[in-house]
Amino acid sequence: MRWSGKVGSLFLLPAVIWVLVFTIFPLGYSLYLSLHNVTSKVEVVGREEVPVLDADGNPVLKPNGEPRTRTEVIRELNRTFTWNDFANYGRAFRDGQVRDAAVFTGIFVVAGVVIEIVLGLVLAYLFNRPIIGRGLMRSIMILPIFATPIAIGYLFFTVFYEEGGPLQWTGLPWLSDPTMAKISVILVDIWQWTPFCFLVFLAALQGIPDEQIESARLDSNSNWDLWKTVILPALKPIIIIVGLLRLAEALKLFDIIATLTKGGPGTATQSYTYYAYTAGFKLQDYGYASALAFLLLIVVMVIVTFFFRFLRRTYE
Amino acid sequence: MSVRMAAGAAALFATTALCGVAFAQGVEYVTWNDDGTVTLRADPEYKFEITVPRERLGTLFAPDYKPFEGETVTVLTLDSGPMGGISGPLHMFRPIWEELSGGTLEIALTPITDLYAKMMLDLNQGTGLYDAIIVGAFFYGDLVANGYMIPIDDYMASDEYPQWSYDVMPDSLRNLYTWGGVGYGVLNDADGQVLYYRSDVLNDPEHQAGFEAEYGYPMPVPPRTWQQLLDIATYFNGKNWDHHDDEPDSGMVLHLKVGEQGHYHFQSLSASFAMTPGPELDRYHNVYWFDPEDMTPLINSPGHVAALEFLQQLHATGPAAQVGWSLGEAWDYFLRGKSVFVFSWGDVGALCQDESRSVIRGNCAAAVLPSSERYWDHENKTWIETDEPGFVGNTTGGSWHGIISAFSDAPEATYSFLSLMAIEESSAWLGTYGWNGVDPGYSYQFVPPYGTADLQAYLDAGWHENDITTYLEAYAQNYNAPTILTYLRIQGAPEYWDIMDKNLSAAMSGEKTAQEALDDTAAAWEEITDRLGREQQLEAYQTAIGYKH
Repeated sequence: MRWSGKVGSLFLLPAVIWVLVFTIFPLGYSLYLSLHNVTSKVEVVGREEVPVLDADGNPVLKPNGEPRTRTEVIRELNRTFTWNDFANYGRAFRDGQVRDAAVFTGIFVVAGVVIEIVLGLVLAYLFNRPIIGRGLMRSIMILPIFATPIAIGYLFFTVFYEEGGPLQWTGLPWLSDPTMAKISVILVDIWQWTPFCFLVFLAALQGIPDEQIESARLDSNSNWDLWKTVILPALKPIIIIVGLLRLAEALKLFDIIATLTKGGPGTATQSYTYYAYTAGFKLQDYGYASALAFLLLIVVMVIVTFFFRFLRRTYE
Repeated sequence: MSVRMAAGAAALFATTALCGVAFAQGVEYVTWNDDGTVTLRADPEYKFEITVPRERLGTLFAPDYKPFEGETVTVLTLDSGPMGGISGPLHMFRPIWEELSGGTLEIALTPITDLYAKMMLDLNQGTGLYDAIIVGAFFYGDLVANGYMIPIDDYMASDEYPQWSYDVMPDSLRNLYTWGGVGYGVLNDADGQVLYYRSDVLNDPEHQAGFEAEYGYPMPVPPRTWQQLLDIATYFNGKNWDHHDDEPDSGMVLHLKVGEQGHYHFQSLSASFAMTPGPELDRYHNVYWFDPEDMTPLINSPGHVAALEFLQQLHATGPAAQVGWSLGEAWDYFLRGKSVFVFSWGDVGALCQDESRSVIRGNCAAAVLPSSERYWDHENKTWIETDEPGFVGNTTGGSWHGIISAFSDAPEATYSFLSLMAIEESSAWLGTYGWNGVDPGYSYQFVPPYGTADLQAYLDAGWHENDITTYLEAYAQNYNAPTILTYLRIQGAPEYWDIMDKNLSAAMSGEKTAQEALDDTAAAWEEITDRLGREQQLEAYQTAIGYKH
């Protein structure tokens, strides 16, 4: 028994190592970075005149027959980590760009997710009945889900192109006006993710037993009553799950911004994650970027907890 | 049938590929001539062939001697492809250097927007993936502060490597390749912005008369002041003056997309509003970014604010969409004959000659940037009005060039490659053929009286005579102007520019007023300076601009 217990632990070891190496360590290291100031400097610690050798280890000669030498400068990279008294977290609360990015991300998440869920529901309801070419239309409708967001960003850059683009006739400043640029980004997200909501809701609608629908019809002919008493209660857990998935995804808005607007004009469409990316990877401030990421993690955890409580209450 | 067609296509592809390989192998990249010269040539698509005196290549390169046999040099550069700007010449010189040295050259490519991040990641970790990096001059602050570059003065003094000199550079460019008098950068590109204008449209007698009737003075060609330029741009904006299509055309086009290179427009334009010219650089004269005594930002001075308000007015003479445009869209708009003016880098002049993209070859004139009729006096805190403003030159941009990483295992081989591209004959050729992104700035690239180049070389390279004469004159005057916009080369320069860029974009899109945008920029700069260390930043800034107490 004791042996089998040890063997069982051995089988768990790869998974434990995986989690430690690929989840816990990066998380811990980024937390450490967010709490420290990092400086690095290359110091010259010595110089040495060394002969140049060929691949066989023989001295290389100059065209005039003299042995070639080179000065080898010995350098050392010195890095220091200094505790920063939560300076990066304090900075995040004072940083106007963080505030603006959080506001835009909030608007994007609320507007985008709500519209996607409502549109997805309506479309699923319309497609949950016999219509000509339903299969083909359903296939076409879900295509945007499979496109990569980077490609979609570039695609919509040409769609929204104001000088000669296909929407030029509207006369709208799709990307050059701060408010319109926000709307454009939300529209792109709706275009891509409404089909996902539609697909899940359609599957859920098809899962509602016909008997329930028929008995509800006996009570009332009104479609609204049918929705209120049967469909919405049946779909409620699914709507919460879809809302949670979309919300978690939308909070990470990055690719569309990177390719479509770069956060502009100004900072009008700079999402929270795009700003964290800029701080970390473009401006090399990994400590600050890590702090921003941890703050987002806390927000996401609070939202997810709230959603799960709501979901649990729904089932109870 | 389809299988047969596929097989045929495969056979054709294989034959072509084999022929290509055979042809490529047949190229003799280096010929040691009997008369003591050496001929260097690239693959046929580059049409590059130069003959140089043997001593120009240094004593290490010799027939039947490969000084860097077995060594590999990796260069990180921005990615414009093998025939594109800045990365193209590296591809072109690769087989030549490999044949001369016996070494191997690897070219690591990355988009321009990721170059700084990739470089700093490698250097901060000390991994040494790259022996050399093609940098923009604004990277120097971070590179110097951390000791990430190798000084090259000893290599330059040696007769072993290809021979070139900083002496061919005007001081404005030389400053960008050195730090505190020590050489770090190997000569390559020269960047600065000049004004491009439609010479045919501006010289049209009908428009000349129309402009004079409307504005009460003859249209100056080219405009000498920004205020004149605004009048001209306003006059032409909304008129269909070039008849290439039925749509109205514009006065000016700008590339203003945030996160790209829009802020450079503001730098170049605002210099003549915001800098107080003087015989020497001191606390009040010829400074632009910070007070060199205490690092107080000058970016929200009345001169800077007036310049941004002016840029907003200028923006109104072009398409509204330009707020979201990168270089490519703005340049394309000008090349399609849709705007009278654009002010940008040397690449535009070269692109004007490419008739597959440009309808304005022969009518694409250039001039040094106009100046403002009034500028802010930082010492007396007042505006100075002038009828005859002097030129304010700029080295706005990257002036992209190679530096050697402190972590390189092969600094000698790396230097030998970079300096092969820097010898006079190579550099003159690169400046002549515009496709490669290496813009002219050195004495042998300018024609007399500014330099020693032969105009015929440019005409042979495909330039239209009307365009090249004004182009070279504009750049020669720009780099040798009595007042030059100082360059921001301190640690964190990309971060200072990032927040400025965002605020400028907010001002251009109407989200903020000019004053708000620049006040916000100044406040953010104070925070960055305090965070990075005011004393350290001050010392770096003083060294970078050559400020002496």
